[in-house]
Amino acid sequence: MITRALRYLLAPLMLLAAFGANAEPYLAVQTGFKCGQCHVNPTGGGERTVFGNIFAQTQLAAHHIDTGSDLWTGEISKYLSVGGDLRVQAQVTKQPGSSSTDDFDVEQGRIYASANVIPGRLYVYVDEQVAPTSINREAYGVYWSKDHDWYVKAGQMYLPFGFRLQDQSALVQQITGINMTTPDQGVEFGVERGHWDAQLAISNGTASGPEVDHGKQYSGQLSYVESFWRIGLAANINNAAAGNKTAGGLFGGLRTGPIAWLGQVDITDDKSLPAQSGRQLATLLEANWRIAQGHNLKLTHEYLDPNRSVANDAETRYSIVYELTPIQYVQIRSGFRYSDGIPQNPLQHLKIGFVELHGFF
Amino acid sequence: MSFARYETIVASLAAVAALYGCAGNGNGLDSNGNPVTPGGGDGALTADFQSIQDHVFTPICTKCHQGASAPFGLQLDATHSYALLVGVASAEQPSVLRVEAGDPDSSYIVRKLEGAAGISGQQMPLGGPYLPQATIDVIRQWIMNGAQKGATAQSIESAVKSVQRFAVDTTSPDDGSIVSTTVPQIVVAFNGDIDPNLINNTTISLESGPDQPVLFSTAVPTGNPAALLIKPQVQLGNGTYRLTLHGPLANVNAQALGADVSFTFTVDALQ
Repeated sequence: MITRALRYLLAPLMLLAAFGANAEPYLAVQTGFKCGQCHVNPTGGGERTVFGNIFAQTQLAAHHIDTGSDLWTGEISKYLSVGGDLRVQAQVTKQPGSSSTDDFDVEQGRIYASANVIPGRLYVYVDEQVAPTSINREAYGVYWSKDHDWYVKAGQMYLPFGFRLQDQSALVQQITGINMTTPDQGVEFGVERGHWDAQLAISNGTASGPEVDHGKQYSGQLSYVESFWRIGLAANINNAAAGNKTAGGLFGGLRTGPIAWLGQVDITDDKSLPAQSGRQLATLLEANWRIAQGHNLKLTHEYLDPNRSVANDAETRYSIVYELTPIQYVQIRSGFRYSDGIPQNPLQHLKIGFVELHGFF
Repeated sequence: MSFARYETIVASLAAVAALYGCAGNGNGLDSNGNPVTPGGGDGALTADFQSIQDHVFTPICTKCHQGASAPFGLQLDATHSYALLVGVASAEQPSVLRVEAGDPDSSYIVRKLEGAAGISGQQMPLGGPYLPQATIDVIRQWIMNGAQKGATAQSIESAVKSVQRFAVDTTSPDDGSIVSTTVPQIVVAFNGDIDPNLINNTTISLESGPDQPVLFSTAVPTGNPAALLIKPQVQLGNGTYRLTLHGPLANVNAQALGADVSFTFTVDALQ
C-alpha cells in the first residue's frame, strides 16, 4: 500500500508526464515496418530482433547514453539470443461507492530466448514469464523458407488476430479471448510476400489448457502494409463441444504526420452462451502523437457492446497515457483510464490511474 | 489535398467514431446488463451465493468457464457452479479445495482471484481486468460465513424438496460429453442433501464396459451435502464410462431416487 502522501505525489505525475516505448503496433504504423522487422516473432511481441534492439536504443530514447561500440543487440552468439521485459507499476483504482485501492504491482517480468540452430532458417523460441508467477507463454519452433517468404511454426504460441496490443485488457482483445495471456498449442503457417502478410493457425482452442474435446480453433489474418497505412482482416473459429465461438475483425493503421492511428473492430458470436448473449462487438480507436523523440501521447477510445441482442448495455473506456523513454532500455508510462457503462454496475465506472516503469532489452 | 486538411478529416472521423460509441444508459437492465425480467430481482453484490453468482460468476467467469470445454471442467454457470466449487478439490492443485467453507485463505478460488503466490497457472479472470479487492472481499465473506447457498435459495429449495422427488441436478463430466484429459473425479449434484449412509458399492457403480467395473472411492464435500464426489482409484484411460446411481440412493429425508440413473462420458486422450 502506498501512503496518502505518495498518492498525492503520484496524481500530478500521472497528469504531467511519463514515458513509453516498447514494441507496440503504433510503432509499426509510425515507421511503416511489419511486426517481424523488430520482433523475432513474425506476428509481433516478445523478443526483439537485432534491428529492433538497435531501433529501440537509437530511435525511441529521448537521450542515448553513449556506450561506445558496445551495443546490445540481444545476440549472445550467432546461435543464441535473449531479451526481456519488466513492468512494475503503482496503481490507484476508484470504484463508485467504495474507497479507492492503491497498490504496487510487478505486472510482469518476461525472459525471451531463441536458439538459432540454423541461423535465419530454423530456431526454437521460448517466452517465459518469471514474475509475478512463473509460467510459460510461448515455446515453439519455426522453420523459414530459403527466401523468407513463408514459415511454419509449431508449439505454444500467441494466435494471429488483429493488432497485438500491449494492453492485454483492451476490449477488442477481451471479447475474442485472443491476447498475449492466452497462447494456444498448435501450428501456424505464415506467408510474407511484399506488402502482404497472412497467417493461419490451428490450435486446441483451450488457451494452452488441456484439450477437452475434438474441436479445434482456427485463427487467421490477412494484412496489407504500406509505408504510411495498413489494413487487415482477421477471423477465428473455435469449435467446442459446448458450442462454437466465431470472431471476425477489421483492423487498420494510418500515419498522419506525427500521429499514428490504430483502429480495430471485432465481433464475436459464442454459441456456448445462452440466448445469443455471446454476440458481442468491441472497437478500438487509438491515436499516438509522437511529440518528440522519446515522448509519446496515447489517447484511446474503446467501446463494447457486451450483448448485441440487448439495447442500452454498452460500455466505453477512455485512456490517456503519456509515455517517456528517457534513455535506452527504460520507459516510464503514466496514465488515467475512465470507464463508463450502465449506471447499475459500479464495476463499469472504474477510474484508474497508474505509473509504470518498463525496462526492456 | 494538403496534409493538414487530411489530418483534420481523420481527426474529425475519429471524434465522430468516439462520440458514436457512448455508454449505455442501462434502461430496463439489471446490473449485469441483462434485461430485467418480470419478478426478477437485482441489487448490490452481497455475501450470499446467489448474489455472487449473479454479479461475478455469470457475467464474468462464464465467458470461459462454461460448457464441456470449461477449463479444468470447472463450469461456473448457475446450474453447475455451487456443486463444483464448495468442498471440491482444485484440478490444478488437488490438495486444495476450490472453496473450503469457513476458510477463505485456504480456498483456491480466492487465491486465484487475488493472484496469490503459489497458485498454478494465472490469476483470474484470465488476462484481467481482475476483480476489485472489494468484490473479492465479498466472496471471502461468503466463504467465511460457511459458503452456504443462501437463505433465500435454501428456503425455496427446502420447500421444493419437500414436494420434489430426489433427483440428479447436474453432473461433471456432463452426460454424453467427450473429454480428452484425465478425469480425477466425477461430481454429481442432487436436488437435495444425500444420505451418506446409503453411499456404497451397491448404490453406485462405475463401468468402463459391460461387466467391467472401475474401483472408486466416494466423498460428500464438506459444506456441500447435496454433492457427491466419485474418485476412480486408477486413472481413467481411453474409453466410454457409465456411472449408475441406483434407485435406493436417497436424500436425508429418505426420499429415494426410485429408479436407476445413468450417464455416460467418453475419455479420449488425443495423444
